[in-house]
This record gives sequence, structure tokens and C-alpha cells, in this order.
Amino acid sequence: MGMNNKKYRQIRVLVIFFVGVIVALSLLQDSFLLSTAGVLTGMLFLILARSKTKIRLDEREKTIREKAANLTYAIFAPTIGIGAFLLLFPAHSGLSVFAKGEWLFIESLGMVFAYLSLFLIITYAISYHFLNKKYGGGGSDGE
Amino acid sequence: MENKLKVYRAMHDLTQEQLAEEIGVSRQTVNAIEANKYLPSLGLAFKIAKLFKTNIEKIFICEKNDEK
Repeated sequence: MGMNNKKYRQIRVLVIFFVGVIVALSLLQDSFLLSTAGVLTGMLFLILARSKTKIRLDEREKTIREKAANLTYAIFAPTIGIGAFLLLFPAHSGLSVFAKGEWLFIESLGMVFAYLSLFLIITYAISYHFLNKKYGGGGSDGE
Repeated sequence: MENKLKVYRAMHDLTQEQLAEEIGVSRQTVNAIEANKYLPSLGLAFKIAKLFKTNIEKIFICEKNDEK
């Protein structure tokens, strides 16, 4: 039997509550196995419920997702880019305090940030290229 | 852009939920279109016009300011 979005949302809240209680109990009991089992059961239940639901993803929601993704990219990319620069700069500035190796983790964190921003920009460029092709961009218009 | 979706919906005695079901979107989307907070795609506008057996421009009215 199918169910609507409202029912699915109610079930989701119940499952999240159930998983939260199980995880809290497992923390009290110091049992890693119980928390894993709780989370996995919750995930399985949600997947089952979702498969029975006629989830409607309409165009307004797609637009919202697109705008949210755009905003996230616009905030996240400069943040980690500037963060990487600020973390890497002191290590290469020649200051003696950074030369001792005590602040090495700062440089490592800067490297992680730098690679993350690189990965983000490359992923964006590749997906932009393919989506541009998919939606008819880049072709000649002289025919 | 202005629209008369609410009027057409009332004329056909449909609730937002029923209209949403007919055109394959959520009730929130119908509500957002009626409140002029969301502009539907061309495809959805055609679907709505087809459902009410009328033209798009009778439901969605383009104002002079929209053309700029």
C-alpha cells in the first residue's frame, strides 16, 4: 500500500527519534554495536518507507535545491580557499616560530583545505561542462 | 507577472491539493504560484492551461514592467 508525503514525514520523525534514543542508550551503555545496529535499522526502515511512498519532487523544490547548491558553493569555495591561503602563508613566511615544526599541523590543515578547494573547483568545472553540453550549449549556430 | 490561477481553480471547484495532484506538483507549489512567489516553468504553465482548457496568457498575465 502506498503512502503520501505527510505520512512518510511522520514516519521519518518517529524513526529519527527512535534512532536518537538507541544511540543515547548505547552511549550510556558504552556499546558501539548497539548504536551501529540502531542506526542501520533506522536507515533500513527509512529506505523501506521511502520505497512505499510516492515522493513528489516538483520543479519548485528543484529550483530551491539548485539555488541552495549555488549558495553553498558561493560560500564554501572562497571560505576554504582563503582558509587554505591563511593557513599555508605563515609556514612559508619564514617566521621562526613556524620553522620549529610545532605548528606543522597548521600547514597540513592548509594543504587539506587547498586540495579540497581544488577538488571543489574541478568538480564544478566538470559538471558545468557536461550540463552545458546536455542542455545544448557549446554547439555551432551557423546551420 | 500576475496570475489568475486562484480564480480558475475556484471556477473549476478544485482545492489546492486536487490541482497539485492533477498537474503533478506539491500543494506548496500551487500555493506559491497563487501567491506570486514562484513563477512556473513553461511546461507547467502549459499543463495548467490545458487542464483549465484555456490559453496560458489568460491565466498568466504579463505586465509591462516584466518585459524590461
